[in-house]
Amino acid sequence: MMDFLRDYHPLFDFFLLNVGFAFSQQIVLRAGVFSVATVGFAGLGAYCSAIMVKNYGFGEIPALLCSMALGMVVGFLLSLPLARVRGVYQAIATLAFVQIVVALVRHFEGLTGGALGIDRIPRLIDTWQLLAIVGVVVYIIYAIGKSGVGRAFDTVRQDETVGIALGISIRRYHTLAFVLSGAIGGLFGGMQALTVYVIEPGLYGFNSMVTILTFIVVGGRGSVLGPIIGTAVIVALPEISRPLAEYRQMVLGALIVVMINYLPNGLYDSLILLVRQRRAVRLDKQAKEKVNAVACA
Amino acid sequence: MIAQQILNGIISGAVYALFSLGFTLIFGVNKILNLAHGGIFMAGAFIGFYAAASGLPFWAACLLAMVGAGILANLVDLFAFRRLRTSKHGEFGTMIASIGANMVLISIAQQLSNTQDFRFPFDTIPISFFRVAGLRLSTLQVAIVILVGVLLILLVLYLYKTSFGRQVRAVAGNDRASMLLGVNPDKVYFQTFFISGALAGIAGVLIGLLFNSINFLMGDTYLLRGFVIVILGGLGSIPGAVIAGLCLGVFQSLATSYLPSDLTEVIIYSLLFVGLVFRPNGLFGMDTSAIGAVRR
Amino acid sequence: MPSLVLDRVSKRFGGIDAVSNVSIEIPESCITGLIGPNGAGKTTVVNLITGMHNLTSGQILLGDIDIGRAPAHETARSGVSRTFQNIRLLAEASVLDNVVAGFHRLESSSLISGIFGFATSLRESRTFRERGRELLARFKMERFVDHPAGCLSYGHQRRVEMMRALAMEPKILLLDEPVAGMNDVEAYELGDIFCELALSGIGLLLIEHNIRFVTKLCEHVHVLDAGKIISSGSPAHVMHDPAVVAAYLGTA
Repeated sequence: MMDFLRDYHPLFDFFLLNVGFAFSQQIVLRAGVFSVATVGFAGLGAYCSAIMVKNYGFGEIPALLCSMALGMVVGFLLSLPLARVRGVYQAIATLAFVQIVVALVRHFEGLTGGALGIDRIPRLIDTWQLLAIVGVVVYIIYAIGKSGVGRAFDTVRQDETVGIALGISIRRYHTLAFVLSGAIGGLFGGMQALTVYVIEPGLYGFNSMVTILTFIVVGGRGSVLGPIIGTAVIVALPEISRPLAEYRQMVLGALIVVMINYLPNGLYDSLILLVRQRRAVRLDKQAKEKVNAVACA
Repeated sequence: MIAQQILNGIISGAVYALFSLGFTLIFGVNKILNLAHGGIFMAGAFIGFYAAASGLPFWAACLLAMVGAGILANLVDLFAFRRLRTSKHGEFGTMIASIGANMVLISIAQQLSNTQDFRFPFDTIPISFFRVAGLRLSTLQVAIVILVGVLLILLVLYLYKTSFGRQVRAVAGNDRASMLLGVNPDKVYFQTFFISGALAGIAGVLIGLLFNSINFLMGDTYLLRGFVIVILGGLGSIPGAVIAGLCLGVFQSLATSYLPSDLTEVIIYSLLFVGLVFRPNGLFGMDTSAIGAVRR
Repeated sequence: MPSLVLDRVSKRFGGIDAVSNVSIEIPESCITGLIGPNGAGKTTVVNLITGMHNLTSGQILLGDIDIGRAPAHETARSGVSRTFQNIRLLAEASVLDNVVAGFHRLESSSLISGIFGFATSLRESRTFRERGRELLARFKMERFVDHPAGCLSYGHQRRVEMMRALAMEPKILLLDEPVAGMNDVEAYELGDIFCELALSGIGLLLIEHNIRFVTKLCEHVHVLDAGKIISSGSPAHVMHDPAVVAAYLGTA
């Protein structure tokens, strides 16, 4: 068992890190904010931690806290100009943000190593610590989901006008979503830097953004398990069969098209909906039978 | 020196504009942000290359690229977007679907090309240079400007002078109302996808000739440029795409000589961001959904 | 409970005066009617009160708080609740979830307590769900608890909107054509509930086209035509006012 874990721990690390990115992406979508800024937050967090640890000798805790704080601040700053922007325009604006981060990272070569990135970063986070932090984040996402904040997010996502009429400040909750996304994205970016020895700007660009979106599309964006399952499926896919690994992009692309057309809620969320519908139908039937029984008695 | 760069910028800007025309057309009419547009552009370049490499004359390669890319665009619509037309979450869904379609196209091209770079055969188009007013011009550059100009005129004629074109404009304005008036939106969508694909395809061939390189990743770069152009020019606006395309071409040409390339990227994307925040409709755009629940 | 007062309120859209110099009071414990031909500006008045539109001039006071310039969500938080002319429900959410959304105003938990005081926030959620079920029972909708709101019939959807508006524990309730499309039995059932609400202290504004319904329920009626109040008074007085008859039926 321990040998198995030891052999597969890079994959498991990869999975855990991506679960974190998936949550960062999911939380904004849940509030109705069409932001793809997660990889930007992750990139900033990663370089922050890497530089702090490698160049200045900080430990992992201050480095990660800084990465998280950086993500939160940048998330907050992003939310300000985007307060009046919606839909695909938000998506494009956050995509622009991602491209700017990548370009800035590549430009300041002295600090970031430019296109080659930073290597020989000490691995200060091991798999168990990563797992623990993911566990904490899962709890936080779950708690938020069940609380008033989660309900407000859901309402705002489905109909802003209703939200306003019920006393929900759209701006406040959108900002909150951005800050949370930034915090999680920054934190996991930092952890990535302290886990994988090497980071480079290509890890935080357009392609990674697409992959993270795929986790959400495949797994589902309304639940806590959805992103976890989506990430698991996509991370595991190339491992399950070699041919799939070679045609990875093609399979992923086709999967995205099929999922969004036939199961737009994702695998897990569609399952939940199905169960709920069946239950509603069953309860309805029971209620009708009760009425009939009384009527015929 | 600067004048030469401006000239070069105008040429590449013209092709940017050609690429963006199809992109903005799909958004204006079908209300889809089609990220597969980059893949179709790249596919057009590939088709044109294979045609030229197998000995066909240049004009035939161009035609084949246009038709092939047009058909490909329709196939993407059929498999990725058709079903989502009536769905509630149309905007998000079609954008995601287009990302998936793009990935499929890119990976097919990757397999076909074995991740190699291609070049058009040397004799595809006779290259000679001449001087005009102290500036250096090649026959290719002239050909590009003429071609883009002609296609633009044809597009405008089609949209404003034919009955098909009227239907397209009607659907762009209000598809429900158009249906009530007897316009068949499916036919309109078919045409707009074909045209957008054809324009992207020929743009691919021209870029492949201009920069002497065709590879399976070329689409993404242009797609990102395309975003900048259609947002700043206005989503759904043809004059916007042309003007913004030319401006971007010129700006990029000048910037690459005087600024580090990454800084150019920062400036371009910052312009995009600022444009989106303050003027999401760009220069000429018509879409009003950008502005959220705002008090009037 | 405070009453709502509109003082010389006007709203201009570009060149059009949608609402001109309107002064209305919505007293507590009372059902006030607002009627008028289509396009008179009734929904605009509601939107001005709730803050969806900015006032061009005038004042809107809730008790002695000026809510005219407040952001829409703050006005809602102050206790002004509304229903919509075109039903706006969260179609994919269950009926209970739709109603529970209305409790937002009453929530005491914040983000921090949501994360660190999970037990408290869970308890509050449970309380809200129970109160939601009580509302459903009051409106005889218990069996629809988990149904997606979008699947309900029109009449039932209207009831869900009503329950949601009531979940807010409003001080003022603005009803924009709440019984449109209902038959008499359904309408009068709802009317009984409106009377109960008024008795409990809430001030209601009822916008309706069903004149019999308005006459039966409202103590005081205002008539709006082309953005101006053309008549005010008891239902009997207003119905016989020649200006009102002219507005609805035209002059010969």
